[in-house]
Amino acid sequence: MPRCAAIRSVEGMITAEGLSKRFGAKTAVHDISFTVRPGQVTGFLGPNGAGKSTTMRMIVGLDRPTEGRVTVNGKRYAELRAPLHEVGALLDAKAVHTGRTAYNHLLAMAATHGIGKSRVREVIELTGLESVAGKRVGGFSLGMGQRLGIAAAMLGDPSTLILDEPVNGLDPEGVLWVRQFVRHLAAEGRTVFLSSHLMSEMALTADHLIVLGRGEILVDAPVSDVISGGTRARVLVRSPQASTLADLLAAPEVAVVRSEAGVLEVTGVEASGIGDLAARHGLAIHELTPLSASLEEAYMALTADAVEYRTEAVR
Amino acid sequence: MTTITSPVARTARPAPRTELSFGGVLHSEWIKLRTLRSTVWSFAVVIALSVGIAVIMAFSMRDGMVSGDLSAAPADLQTQAVLQSSMIGIYLGQLVMAVLGVIAISGEYTTGMIRSTLTAVPRRLPALWAKAVVLFAATFVVGVASLGAAFAASSIVLAGADVAADLADPDVAVTILGGGLYLGLVAVFALGIGAMLRSSAGGIAAVLGLMMLLPTVMQLIPAQWVQDLAPYAFSTAGFAIFSGPLNPGAVVTTGPDAWQSLAIVLAWVAASIAGAAVLLKRRDA
Repeated sequence: MPRCAAIRSVEGMITAEGLSKRFGAKTAVHDISFTVRPGQVTGFLGPNGAGKSTTMRMIVGLDRPTEGRVTVNGKRYAELRAPLHEVGALLDAKAVHTGRTAYNHLLAMAATHGIGKSRVREVIELTGLESVAGKRVGGFSLGMGQRLGIAAAMLGDPSTLILDEPVNGLDPEGVLWVRQFVRHLAAEGRTVFLSSHLMSEMALTADHLIVLGRGEILVDAPVSDVISGGTRARVLVRSPQASTLADLLAAPEVAVVRSEAGVLEVTGVEASGIGDLAARHGLAIHELTPLSASLEEAYMALTADAVEYRTEAVR
Repeated sequence: MTTITSPVARTARPAPRTELSFGGVLHSEWIKLRTLRSTVWSFAVVIALSVGIAVIMAFSMRDGMVSGDLSAAPADLQTQAVLQSSMIGIYLGQLVMAVLGVIAISGEYTTGMIRSTLTAVPRRLPALWAKAVVLFAATFVVGVASLGAAFAASSIVLAGADVAADLADPDVAVTILGGGLYLGLVAVFALGIGAMLRSSAGGIAAVLGLMMLLPTVMQLIPAQWVQDLAPYAFSTAGFAIFSGPLNPGAVVTTGPDAWQSLAIVLAWVAASIAGAAVLLKRRDA
């Protein structure tokens, strides 16, 4: 899959320009512009109702933008000569007739583009659906539905993949599989645009993040920037000499929170720094964990003002 | 990334490049139609109803000889009697075809399949045309086959009363083909309504209302202009396509002839499909 940015700069790119979508009086997406690039996984993150699905539906022409436009490889989706070869989309695990078998569903989708039975069997194998391919989709679990959706998206071996919440309903093994799968697709030079409302999932899968809140882009940056920019690293320390350690750590830029006996939550010092300090003073450390929850916090901090449905904190 | 499984690596092999084509969409719609049990059942019911009702009619004609002893009648009257008994089933067959036409598209909306369909065929209209063509072809073939089978069954039963149908009589082929044509057009008409309403229940109610209720209601309205419009109702015109040879004695000089009736039915079908096309193109899926 050769890609040369110098030859065709739009190849493999999803480009939205001033994209808006209103449903009656409600604005789902408001004037967003972004570019999704090949060779990396771009995470599309936002709380439920932020407009992620609507944006993805506009990319593949299911919803018509109220304003603006969005292109794939420089063309509107409907103008593509072979849409399934250029874009594979999983928008909804339930976009399948429940009365048809998985194999026949894929066969019918493939037929539109003259894609043969051998490729249908390949994508069934690829997604691990061999044992249920002959069963009607109505009896599928959400996880199997997701796999079938991914199989359909892969039929045309597309250079761009658009996956809306692909890990929803998957078991841990399935989640891991999707994560490796999209990483692999991106490593092959494909464009992968992946939505989720879970920051933790994105931190593990995506290279680049576009964060959406209330229909507007809050952040469009590499994942590492989002994480480091959002909050400072937090470290959980468990030690029998916790109070001594807390005294030693005390500094203007360091915050120490004692959550329970023998446990500290330290902000402002790396885990390595805490470990070194304890070693120098001969203090025992039972646990030293950089808290990945800071990612969630970065996300919460970003979307705090942009959550559509907020719940009161449980006390 | 050391745990990449072999199936994942398989995606690196590029599939041969093919393109979206109308032939491909036709093929896809044919696969979709034949792989649903509802289609298979509908067609089986149409054939069973047509043959079953024809046999019952033929037996009652043979036993009662309701229209007198036909064995002595001229050949064309005997043929006509066999045809009459074999065409009764179309009253019920049309209802099944109407339901099938509606659910061919409303089933995609209620299950979400339409989003897959329109992602594969983003210009949308080719998917509608292909669905209409495939549905028409299948229902026409099944319609002709079921009426042909009904004719054969009637012939066998009535042969027991020395009433023989003349297969060479052109009325036989014209009536059976006309009946099949009507059944095919019913399905396409219903497809358009189903696409506009996007609901199985609503679509079926609307189509059956237009087919069954409208002619009855028109009969009940005493105004002359309503009576003048009666032959233009969908099912009334539809039956006039093929039933001419069944009532050769009736003087139907006032109403439209078979060809005009076909044109009326085609106009209904065109309106239905055009409405569906406009809405399919315009609405979010």
